[in-house]
Amino acid sequence: MNDQRKGDHAEPTTHFGYSDVPESQKARKVAEVFHSVAAKYDLMNDVLSGGMHRLWKRFTIELSGVRSGNRVLDIAGGTGDLAAKFSRLVGPTGQVVLADINESMLKVGRDRLLDRGVAGNIEFVQADAEKLPFPDNHFDCVTIAFGLRNVTHKDAAISSMLRVLKPGGRLLVLEFSKPTNKLMSRAYDAYSFAFMPLAGKLITNDSESYRYLAESIRMHPDQETLKSMMVEAGFDRVTYHNMTSGIVAVHRGIKP
Amino acid sequence: MLLAGVLASVEHGLNRVLRMDSTALPRLAALEGKVIAIDCVQPALRVYILPDEDGLMLAGHWEGDVHCTLRAPASHLARLALARDKTAVLHAPQVQLHGDSAALLDLVGVLQNLELDWEYELSRWLGPVATSLLAGHLRLRARWTREGLARFSQNLSEYLAEESRTLVGKREAEAAFSELDALKVDIERLEARIRRLSQSLDASDNA
Repeated sequence: MNDQRKGDHAEPTTHFGYSDVPESQKARKVAEVFHSVAAKYDLMNDVLSGGMHRLWKRFTIELSGVRSGNRVLDIAGGTGDLAAKFSRLVGPTGQVVLADINESMLKVGRDRLLDRGVAGNIEFVQADAEKLPFPDNHFDCVTIAFGLRNVTHKDAAISSMLRVLKPGGRLLVLEFSKPTNKLMSRAYDAYSFAFMPLAGKLITNDSESYRYLAESIRMHPDQETLKSMMVEAGFDRVTYHNMTSGIVAVHRGIKP
Repeated sequence: MLLAGVLASVEHGLNRVLRMDSTALPRLAALEGKVIAIDCVQPALRVYILPDEDGLMLAGHWEGDVHCTLRAPASHLARLALARDKTAVLHAPQVQLHGDSAALLDLVGVLQNLELDWEYELSRWLGPVATSLLAGHLRLRARWTREGLARFSQNLSEYLAEESRTLVGKREAEAAFSELDALKVDIERLEARIRRLSQSLDASDNA
């Protein structure tokens, strides 16, 4: 949606936070960000969201309708918060695939889950959301939590998710969105651009990655735009739920 | 979000307690895959319970299949949690149960028969020596409190029955009841005797 193409011969550009970069460089730049924050990703999530990210993820799981024996794909699964819960829900007869494009995040997630004894029904796959390496009609549920805004071609990623879902399967997109309340929006802006980079500097010694986080959230499609993107991709019964006054929204679509 | 936060905290605390009983989690594993909905009427609140080998998962919203739904006012739910005879509570007219009731009763049974190894949990924080000393002290205090309460109860009942004569003692009351019973039987015998005599008098008059 936000991709820009300059001329016939120049390489198309896309946004990376507030700046434009050639499309071929975005994935590498995003990888650098997550490589930098991977070790303290969970701690930073707790600090920056005040623990709210756990509740947002809980609600996403409640919406998933996943049951014993299901096959679930968690894209941009990071440190495995959702995958661990899904592993419990699908049981030994089900399967969970934790996929992430970033090797560092995947390693942290894999180590963390194995340390917690989450094993047996879970697989770890390094994969690009735009070109998912799975057969058609394979999963009962696909989730992507706080990952879609980092994808270069969001339309391609949503189409890829549709392809790997079984008919009747659900896609859940948990992502930062646009606050519905003006007062909250102002407070959130101040928080994002003043506190988040400062916390990043203090905890991970990397303020730039958290400046990118704040900027990438502003560049991400709002609730209605993302909903229409999912409808255009072919999803049916697309709905979204705002959480914490719209700071975060979870979109759900069913594959017809 | 508020309910989700409360449920997350309750779930965390409950699972810590469940881990203190070595038999609770294997018993919950038998209920894996079951979804139990508790629908409280007053106040209106619906909570879903998903047991598995790691404990319980609580959810305020669930889109998947529900195997058992219990619908009752909060007072009846509390009674169900505490009562020994759960069948009597489940048969109350305000309580509605749909689906697989065995799953619900099994879950309640696991929660009611917990035998918590709190000393092990404490030893993880304080170490074995301090835990042993503290546990011995706590056990002594608990026994002292229990015995103290029993003695107080006995002394109070003796004072009320024997010294202040406010209440009648149990044995005294039993003796009085037994005398009353004997008196009642004697009166009945006397009545029967009078009846027989009057019948024989009537018979001789007619002759």
